[in-house]
Amino acid sequence: MGGLSASALLKQEPYLVIDHVSKHFEQKKQRLNVLEDINFSMNKGEILCIVGASGCGKSTLLRAISGLDSDHGGQILIGGNEVVAPSKSRGIVFQEHRLFPWLTVEQNVGYVLTGISKEEKKKLVQEYVELVGLKGFEKAYPKELSGGMSQRAGIARALVNKPEVLLLDEPFGALDAFTKIALQKELKRIQRKSGTTMVMVTHDIEEAVFLADHIIVLDSKPGRIKLEVNVDLPVPRDRNSYEFLQVKKRIYEEFFEDEKIPEDFSI
Amino acid sequence: MVSKAFRSTGYFIEYLALIFSIISVWTIMSNQGHLNTIILPAPNSILETIVELVADGALFTNMFISVSRVLQGYFLAAFLGISLGILIGLSKHLDRVTELIIQMIKPIPPIAWIPLVILWFGIGESGKVFLIFLGGFFTILINVVDGIHQTDPKLVEVSRSMETPFWKHISLMVIPGAAPNIFTGLRTGLSSCWMCVVAAELVSSTTGLGYLIMDARQFGQTDVVIVGMLTIGIVGKIMDSLLRFAEKKTLRWI
Repeated sequence: MGGLSASALLKQEPYLVIDHVSKHFEQKKQRLNVLEDINFSMNKGEILCIVGASGCGKSTLLRAISGLDSDHGGQILIGGNEVVAPSKSRGIVFQEHRLFPWLTVEQNVGYVLTGISKEEKKKLVQEYVELVGLKGFEKAYPKELSGGMSQRAGIARALVNKPEVLLLDEPFGALDAFTKIALQKELKRIQRKSGTTMVMVTHDIEEAVFLADHIIVLDSKPGRIKLEVNVDLPVPRDRNSYEFLQVKKRIYEEFFEDEKIPEDFSI
Repeated sequence: MVSKAFRSTGYFIEYLALIFSIISVWTIMSNQGHLNTIILPAPNSILETIVELVADGALFTNMFISVSRVLQGYFLAAFLGISLGILIGLSKHLDRVTELIIQMIKPIPPIAWIPLVILWFGIGESGKVFLIFLGGFFTILINVVDGIHQTDPKLVEVSRSMETPFWKHISLMVIPGAAPNIFTGLRTGLSSCWMCVVAAELVSSTTGLGYLIMDARQFGQTDVVIVGMLTIGIVGKIMDSLLRFAEKKTLRWI
C-alpha cells in the first residue's frame, strides 16, 4: 500500500519470463524430452540469443515463445501476460524468408498492417523498407531477390507492426558468410534504433556474442540450460578483440570440451 | 504457348506442319477420287460449306448460342467450384464428409444425366446449362481443393502468426496460394464444359453447334457435320488460349 517499494523501483521487473517450460514428444511409445525445465528471464529492449546444436530444442522453445506451439509445460510471460496463442505483437523471422511469393516486397511488408489508413500504411511500409535497405525494390517479387535481400524483407515485415518482441529463428543460417556479417550489423543497428526486445535462436557462437546481451547455451537430449552468459562488451563489438574472443571461447568450450587447452600463464 | 510458337519461324513451321500435311494428303486423295464424298468430303467442298454457312449466318448464330450456353454453365461451375472448393479445402471435416459423394458423382458422364435433366428441368435452356455446369464443376472443385491442400504450410503459419483477419487470409493467402491449381481447374473445366455442349444440345435443341451437327447428320450433310466439329475445335482452342493468357498475366510471381 502507498506506492512502490524501494526494491521494485531499483530493480526492473523482467519483461519476458520463461518459467519451468518443458516439452516432450511421444515417439514409438517412447517419451522424448525436448525441453526440460527451462527457466530464464530478460528485460525489455535486450537481445537474448539461444545457442545450441541441431536438435537441442532451441527452435521448439522459440515456437513456444511465439505462441505457435502452446502444447508445453510451464509458463511463458511477456509483460506479465501468459502466451497462449500467436499474436501480431510478436514478430517472427524464420530461417527461410517465408515471404509470400505472390506479393511484392511492399505488399509482403504491409501484410500484417490492418485497421489503419492507406496513407499511414504506405508511410510505415516505406519507412521499414528503407530501414532494412531495400529502397528501390518495393515492387519486386520475392523470386527476384537474393537470399540476403529476402531476409531483409522478412525482417522489415516482422518489424513493421512495431512488435513488443522480435523472434528470430536462425535467420542468417542459410546465408553466405559476408551477407551474414552485413546483416548481423544491420540487425544490431536496427535494434539500437528501435529498442525492440529480441530473442534469437542460432547455432553460430560468434553471431550470438556479436549480437546478444545475454546468451543461453542449451544442451541436447534433453534440452536444458547448460550455461548463461552475460555479454557486457561495448557496442559496436570488435569480433577480433581479446574480450570478444574470450566470451566466444567460453561458449565454444561448452560444446567441445575435449579441445579445452589449459591456459599458459608463464611469461 | 502461342506467343512462343510465333517467335521463331522454325517453331512456326513445326507448329503448323502436321495440319498442312493432313490437308495436303486429304486433298490429293479426294482429287484422285479415292474418297467417297459422303464419308469424307474434299477439303475444298468443306471450304465452300464454310463460306455458305457464314454467308447465311447459320454458323456464327449457332456458335454464339453454344458459346453463351457454355459460358453460363461454366461461370456457374467456376463460381460454385471455387467457393465450395475453398470451404472443403479449409475444413478437414467437410472434406471427409463430402469426399465419397464427390468421388461417386464425378465419374458419371453428363450424357447419362440427360433423362434426369429432362425430368427435372424440362427441355428448356436451364437443363442445357445444368449439363454443361456438371461437365466443369467437379474438375474445378477437385483442383481447388488440391490447390489449398498443397499450399505451403509454412506460409499459412506466417499468416496465422500475424492474426490475419479471415477474409484477408482467404483473399491474400489461401486463393493466391492455390492459384496455380485453380487455373489448371479453370482450364480443364472450360474444356470439359465445351465438350459437353453437344451432349447438352442433344436435348431437343433447335439451335447451337450440337444441333447443327445432329441436324446435318439426319440429312447426310457430312460437310456440315465436319464444319460443326471444326468450329467446336477452333473455339475450344481459342478459349483455352485466352485462359492461358489470363493465367500468365495473373500468376506473374511464378
